[in-house]
Amino acid sequence: MLRRLLFALLVLAVGCRPSGRPAVGPSQRIVSLLPSFTELLFAIGAGDRIVGRTQWCDYPPAALDIPSVGEGLPPNIESVLARRPDLVVLYNAGPNVTAAKQLERAGVQTVLIDLNRLEDLGPAARTLGRLTGRQERAESLAIALDSLAGRPPPPSTTSLAFVVWDNPPIIIGHGSYLDQLATQAGARNVFGDVAAPSAQVSLETIVARDPQWIAVLADSAVRPGFAKRREWRAVRAVREGHFLLLPGSLFGRPGPRSGEAIRELRERLDRGPHR
Amino acid sequence: MKWTILGAVAVIALILSIVLGPAAVPLGELLHSDIVWNLRAPRALLAFLVGGSLGVAGAGLQALVRNPLADPFLLGLSGGAGLGAVLAIALHLPGPWALPIAAFIGALAALGLVYRLGLIGGASLDPRILLLGGVAIGAFAAAITTAIVSLADAAELRNAFLWLWGGLSGASWDSALLVALYAPIPLAVLFAASRPLDLLALGEESASYLGADVEKVKRRVYLAASLLTAAAVAVSGVIGFVGLVVPHIARLTWGHRHRSLLPAAFLGGGALLAFADTLARTVVAPRELPVGVVTALIGVPVFALLLRRWTIA
Amino acid sequence: MTEPLLRLQDVRYRYPGATNDALQGVSLAVAPKQFHAVLGPNGSGKTTLVRIALGGLKPLVGRADVIGVPASHWPRQDLARLVGVVPQREDNLFPQRVRETVLLGRYPHLSLWGRERAADHDAVDRALAACDALHLANRWLWTLSGGEYQRVRVARALAQEPKLLVLDEPGMSLDLKHEMGLFELVLGLVHEQGLGVLMITHDLNLAARFADSLLLLEGGRPVAAGAPNDVLTQETVAQVFSWPVAMHTVDGRPQMVPLRQPKESRA
Repeated sequence: MLRRLLFALLVLAVGCRPSGRPAVGPSQRIVSLLPSFTELLFAIGAGDRIVGRTQWCDYPPAALDIPSVGEGLPPNIESVLARRPDLVVLYNAGPNVTAAKQLERAGVQTVLIDLNRLEDLGPAARTLGRLTGRQERAESLAIALDSLAGRPPPPSTTSLAFVVWDNPPIIIGHGSYLDQLATQAGARNVFGDVAAPSAQVSLETIVARDPQWIAVLADSAVRPGFAKRREWRAVRAVREGHFLLLPGSLFGRPGPRSGEAIRELRERLDRGPHR
Repeated sequence: MKWTILGAVAVIALILSIVLGPAAVPLGELLHSDIVWNLRAPRALLAFLVGGSLGVAGAGLQALVRNPLADPFLLGLSGGAGLGAVLAIALHLPGPWALPIAAFIGALAALGLVYRLGLIGGASLDPRILLLGGVAIGAFAAAITTAIVSLADAAELRNAFLWLWGGLSGASWDSALLVALYAPIPLAVLFAASRPLDLLALGEESASYLGADVEKVKRRVYLAASLLTAAAVAVSGVIGFVGLVVPHIARLTWGHRHRSLLPAAFLGGGALLAFADTLARTVVAPRELPVGVVTALIGVPVFALLLRRWTIA
Repeated sequence: MTEPLLRLQDVRYRYPGATNDALQGVSLAVAPKQFHAVLGPNGSGKTTLVRIALGGLKPLVGRADVIGVPASHWPRQDLARLVGVVPQREDNLFPQRVRETVLLGRYPHLSLWGRERAADHDAVDRALAACDALHLANRWLWTLSGGEYQRVRVARALAQEPKLLVLDEPGMSLDLKHEMGLFELVLGLVHEQGLGVLMITHDLNLAARFADSLLLLEGGRPVAAGAPNDVLTQETVAQVFSWPVAMHTVDGRPQMVPLRQPKESRA
C-alpha cells in the first residue's frame, strides 16, 4: 500500500528528461517501470511494444502477460537488460537516476518522467507518444487529462482523511495525487493544510478534525485492523464505520483512469456509508 | 529535596501531557473531553510506564553487564520484536492485537536465545556473552526481517518498520492498563535486587564474598530487565535513549546505590518520555515527530551538561 | 576443643578437563585467635584452596567445612556474616566514596527491603577506626594510595563483623611501610577481636613473622604444615622454591634470604 503511494507521493518538479542515444525511430521494445506508464502506454496504443513491466503493473489485464522485471524503484538492471529493450521508462526519483545512468552505459535509451500529480499526466502522455510514434493518440489523451487537471474543483460537500498507516498514524497532506483526487470528487481533505504529500500526525488531531470519511487504499473489502482498536474508536468516522476502501490499482496512481477514479470516488461519497 | 524536585517534575510532565496536545481543548472541558480521556490520558500513562521501565531496565543491565554503554535494546530484543511484527504482517494474522503480540513473542524468542547463549560456558551466566550474543541475535533477526521484507510481495511489510519505530501512537486504555498490570512484577524483581547489584559492581567474586548469590542475581536481573523491555517494544516500538541516558543522569545525581538509583531512574525515565511525547505531539502540530527523536534531542544535552558539571566537581 | 572456624580435611580437587589435580590431600584448620598462612610458589594451588574454603568450588574428595557445615552448603548471605574476604583484586565499575564501599560490608546483615540502621553505620565507623581509616571516610576511592585502599578493603571485610578473615595476597604492590602496617593491623585484630585469619601469600618472610601456623604447598600438595620454625627449614624452602636459600632468625621467627646463584655455577 505504502509502496505504491511512494510512487505518487515523492515531491518532484514537473518536467521530464529523455536522454541517452537519440532515438532513430519509434521505440519497439519498451520496459515500463511504473504502473502508470504501463497504463498510459496501453492507452495510446503502444501496449504491444512493452517487453517488461514491474511486479506492480496490473492494469490493463493484458499487462499481466508481459514478463515482470520485479521492482521499479530502483529496478534490477540485469533483469531489465535481459528483456533487450531499446527504451526504458523510469519514474524520476533519486535511485532511478543512478539506474538510468547504468542503463545508458549499457547502450539503452532511457527516459525519466515525473508523475506525481494530475497535471503531470498530460506531459507524460505526450512524452511517451513522441517516443513511440503515437503522437496523435497521445495528444488527444493528453488534452483530456489536462482538462481534468485544469478543471476547477466542485464545492466540497463532505470531508475525509486518507489514512496510509495506523501506528503511527500517517495521513495524506496537501499537494499529493490523492489529495487532488478527493478535492476533484468534492471531498475536503481535512489534512489539506499539511504541506507534505504524507505526514505522521497524532490520533487526537484526526479526532479533532473529525472527517466524515476515513479513506484507505485497500485491495480487499475488509476494514483495516485499526478499525477495531480502542484508541481509533475515538474518531467519529471510525466509530460510525464510514470507511472508504479504495482499490490501489484504480485510486493509488495517476494515470489514464484518473477521471474514472474521480467519478467513482464521487459516486461512493454520494451513496453514503453502506452499513 | 532532590526527591521532591524529581517527584514534582514527574507530576508536571504527566499533567502537561494531559493538558497539551495538537487539538485545542479548553481547560474547562478537560475532564469531559473525549480526546483527553480516551487518547491523552492513556497515552500519558503509557509513556510514563514505558519510560520508567526502560530507565530501570537500562540501569539494571548496565550494572549486570558491567558496561555503562549497555542499552536495553542492545540485547537483541528490538531485532526479535521487528521479526515478530514482520511475520505477523506477512502471515496476515488477524485482529487488532496481532502485531503487538507477535512482536512480544519475537522479543521473548530473542531473549531466550540470548539467555541460552549466555549460559554457553556452563552453569554460570556470562554477562559479556549476553552483550555479544544480544548484538549477534539482534543482527541475525534484523537480517531475516530484511530478507522477508525484500523478498515478499506484500507492500505492507515495509510498514513493519514504521510500526517498530512507531512510538506511543498506539496508546489506549487497553495497552496502558496491560502494562500497568504487567510492569510491576519485573520492576519489583529489579528493585529487590538493588543491594546485590551494588555488590555486583565490585565484580562477581567480591559480590559473592559480601553475601550476594551472584548467579541468582544475574539471572533475575537479566530476565526482569528483558521482560520489561519486551513489553515496552510490544506496546510502543523501539524508543531509544531513555534506557541508556536516564540511568546515567540518575547516577550523577543519586549516586550508584541502586536502592535510590532505580526509583530515580523510574521517575526520571517516566517523566522524560511523557515530556518528550508531549513535545513530539505539539511542536510541529498538526504533524507529529517520532518520539525517539525528541528523547535524543532532550536527553543528550542534559546528559552532556551533567557530565560536565560532574567532571569539574 | 570448640569447632574450628574453617576446616579442610584431605581435600582433592581437579578442574573440569584438567589432567592434574589442582589440590591433593590438603588439610588445615583455622580457630579463633589464630593467624594461619598458606604459602607456596605461583601455581601451587593457593587460589583454588581459597575458592574451596569459601564454597565457590566443591572438593571432589574430602571436606571443606565452615563451623562444621560444608562451605558450599552455606547460603552466601549467612556465610558472609561469618567470613570476610579481601580478594586479591577487584575493579569497581562506578566511582565510589570510602564510606559507601565499607557500607557494602553490611549487606549480609540487612533484610531484603530494610534500610541501613544506626547500628550498621556504627559498625562501619568501628571498622574504619580499627583500620585507621576513619579520616578517609569521605574520600573517593580512586584518590587513595595503594596502602590506604587495602586498609579500606580490610575495613569493608571487618564491617561484615566476621569471625574469620580471609586475605588473598594482601601485601601485593604495597611498599615496606604500608605492607608492615597492614600486617600489624591484621595481627592486632587477631589479638584484640579474637578473629581467625587465613592469609594466602607467596611472601615467606611476612608469613613467618606474623602467622602462628603455616601450610606450605607445592604443586597442589602439602609439603609441610605447623609452626613457622618447623615448616620453614632451609632444605624445604630451597626445594619448594627451587632456589638455594639461607635461613636466619629474627624475633624468634625464621627469615629466608635467597642466595646468589651465578649463571656458570647453575647446572
